[in-house]
Amino acid sequence: MKRSFVLILALAACSLSCNREAPDATKSSKPTVALVLKTLNHPFFVDMRRGAQEAADRLGVNLQVQAAEREIDVEKQMQIVENLIQTGIQALAITPSGSREIVSALVKARDAKVPIVVVDTRVDEKAAADAGVHTETFVGSDNYEGGKLAGDYLLKVSGGKARVGILEGIPGHETGDSRLRGFRDAVKAAPGVSIVASQPANWERDQGFNVFQNMLQAHPEIDSVFACSDLMALGAIEAIAAAGRTGKIRVIGFDALDDAKKAIGEGTMAASVAQFPSEMGRVAIESAVKVIRGETVPAQIKVRLELVTKENLQ
Amino acid sequence: MHARQFGTLIGLAVLCAILWILTPYFLTVSNLLNVAEQTSINAIVAVGMTFVILSGGIDLSVGSIVALSGVVLGVSLKSDQPMLVALVVAALVGLACGLCNGALVSWGGLPPFIVTLGTMSIARGAALLYTEGRPVSGFDAGFRALATGRAGFIPAPVIVMLLVYLAAHFVLTRTTFGRYVYAIGGNEEATRLSGVAIRFHKTMIYGVSGLMSAVAAIILTARLNSAQPIAGMMYELDAIAATVIGGTSLMGGEGSLGGTLVGALIMGVLRNGLNLLGVSSFLQQIVIGGVIVVAVLLDTILKRRKST
Repeated sequence: MKRSFVLILALAACSLSCNREAPDATKSSKPTVALVLKTLNHPFFVDMRRGAQEAADRLGVNLQVQAAEREIDVEKQMQIVENLIQTGIQALAITPSGSREIVSALVKARDAKVPIVVVDTRVDEKAAADAGVHTETFVGSDNYEGGKLAGDYLLKVSGGKARVGILEGIPGHETGDSRLRGFRDAVKAAPGVSIVASQPANWERDQGFNVFQNMLQAHPEIDSVFACSDLMALGAIEAIAAAGRTGKIRVIGFDALDDAKKAIGEGTMAASVAQFPSEMGRVAIESAVKVIRGETVPAQIKVRLELVTKENLQ
Repeated sequence: MHARQFGTLIGLAVLCAILWILTPYFLTVSNLLNVAEQTSINAIVAVGMTFVILSGGIDLSVGSIVALSGVVLGVSLKSDQPMLVALVVAALVGLACGLCNGALVSWGGLPPFIVTLGTMSIARGAALLYTEGRPVSGFDAGFRALATGRAGFIPAPVIVMLLVYLAAHFVLTRTTFGRYVYAIGGNEEATRLSGVAIRFHKTMIYGVSGLMSAVAAIILTARLNSAQPIAGMMYELDAIAATVIGGTSLMGGEGSLGGTLVGALIMGVLRNGLNLLGVSSFLQQIVIGGVIVVAVLLDTILKRRKST
């Protein structure tokens, strides 16, 4: 009996805070758009939420943002989608945790006649077609182009001679795989550039540290690193510092996080490919609202990419 | 004996009542089925966890076994074997992992925490190695029906969950094996002295846990239409939480599967309700953690009062 009392207390306490936050879709005529992110413990998605929120405020729609605790938790993301559908959302914007796995969740959105806007990470086209899922638009940067941008930069600054270690994202993720393909395609043509090691560090900073430390042990000749995300690049920078080789190894990252820009300013990092997540968030919500209003949106909306180096650092 | 289980049930009812007041979306048939479906995977893993915890042990490897059985299932399905063969192979993989855990605990004399911590890493690594880190996706509709199918209006995973609970409850309350699970957890030495083959039974208990992980893997794979080597992370903690909220004592010997099912439902309802209310995902983690701590705290207080 006592347990239930405490539960009541805990929930009453929670409900106080919930009431403040929960937008009441039943009482207002404002449409509700849901934005389901991979996670909120990454600055990239926090920026995306900011851009989305600004757009939602400007357009006068309710925005419901939910995210899984961990970036790779597709099952949790699916639960979130199922739960949000219950609240009668009018559109769903989502950054899929898995290109194929998310299709099962999108099927539920389709069945509930909720239009889908895909952001940042693409949905596997074949899997979607097989399941009969139609997405309104894809909003994101071309990760392949971004990888290429990084590769071209390496060719330019190294004069076509480099021994490269690569830190990959989680294997099987479209985002990381595309960046990797773009980078490899860019350096393929140069005979002086060899990729001596390529290992996944699962998007994480501490793994970037450990994996690159091991790489340096095995291949002390490495003079350049391409990391498929800045968090991994920042980990590698720490590993380089620990090995006492700061400034002797070029580090190229992806995302242009604030920490990465700082590192570029300090000279510990050479460059990072900038994406504009807040712009993605903004465009995603704008597109969702257009779809709700019955307007047409292009099947794909590309958000710009930019290489940040010491020269163009603001 | 059933007083505590009853308390948990009241907790669930109160939780539902509060959500019913706070949001119009909670108490609808479609949402309740939604919650039941979402709970099924954790609830099934928690069956095995309840057996292990009742016997005074712990199993940290369940999430990794879910991943390993899942990818073996996925690859078997992809290699055009009959569905039944793939299901049996996946079940055997889970069972084998569990039996290895059990053998190392009982014959090797190692603490369950250490053994299953090792298996957690080994099974995860094996799953990643087997698939080269990539998910195995895209199965035929016959297999997917295990998640998407409906009997009447009840989703297939919920039916599987209920069947598993009925069978496991029968084993735990109506068979000698079930009685030994409680006896080993209550007083292992006394049980041994009364002539029970402790080692054999302990091995079987961990086998049950592995098998349950495999069943959960089947549902998860069908639900996502994909088997991921990184699936099931943190499932051990969700399963332990469901078991403990359900009133099973971490010291062993006390508890019931009914309590575990209610514990799993409390977690599922909480997550669902917090999503419906639009609570930030950070606050959600705090609330869920708080509920777990409060439940165990009450368990401890009740026990202390009973013993004085």
